[in-house]
Amino acid sequence: MSITISGDGTITGISSGGLNDGIITDDELNLSANASNIKTALNASGTAPIYACRAWVNFNGTGTVAIRASGNVTGITDNGTGDYTVNFATAMPDVDYAVTGTAMRNSTYASDANPVVVALKSNTTYSDNATTSSFSITTHWSADASNQDPIAVCVAFFR
Amino acid sequence: MNRIIFPKTDGGVSVFVPSPDCDLTIEQMAQQVVPESTPYKIVDESEIPSDRTFRDAWVWSDND
Repeated sequence: MSITISGDGTITGISSGGLNDGIITDDELNLSANASNIKTALNASGTAPIYACRAWVNFNGTGTVAIRASGNVTGITDNGTGDYTVNFATAMPDVDYAVTGTAMRNSTYASDANPVVVALKSNTTYSDNATTSSFSITTHWSADASNQDPIAVCVAFFR
Repeated sequence: MNRIIFPKTDGGVSVFVPSPDCDLTIEQMAQQVVPESTPYKIVDESEIPSDRTFRDAWVWSDND
């Protein structure tokens, strides 16, 4: 049917309603995270799939503990020296996410021979420290594992 | 900015630090992070000691 505009401004030939489900696929709309145009925009070459960061936080663990910036994080809980819990704003789908982290030592410690390590808090079980709503970490010396408060703690979660 | 403080099961104190990037209210955050049936207080960050030398010796008190 052709679309007609009459002299009084009436438009005919247009029906209401949408397309049936499945007529246009995600690939055709390029809505897939791994569609070629999305990968190009992200400078992701090759065919390996893309998995997104689901939450992240950068905070100062010294003095007045404060968050510099974050994504999908309500806040962190300071449980003690080098003992923190990252709380997610929107829950993870399960507890099988992967975590990566780094920390910068307090500048009052001059030696580079004893870096700070970010680790899953390990005094209890995995399920006690990794839930869909939060994840607990410790930051400690690599040499003796004693907990330390770093001036920067950066943690990211992937799933 | 405010902080949420609540007791740990071992007698110590947890201090919740809200993210500046989160739109929830401090009360909504408390509902999420404070364990059920655990008392808590919302305080100004200036009330939390910045000297963390004896951080692990901090204890919860019901007194204001």
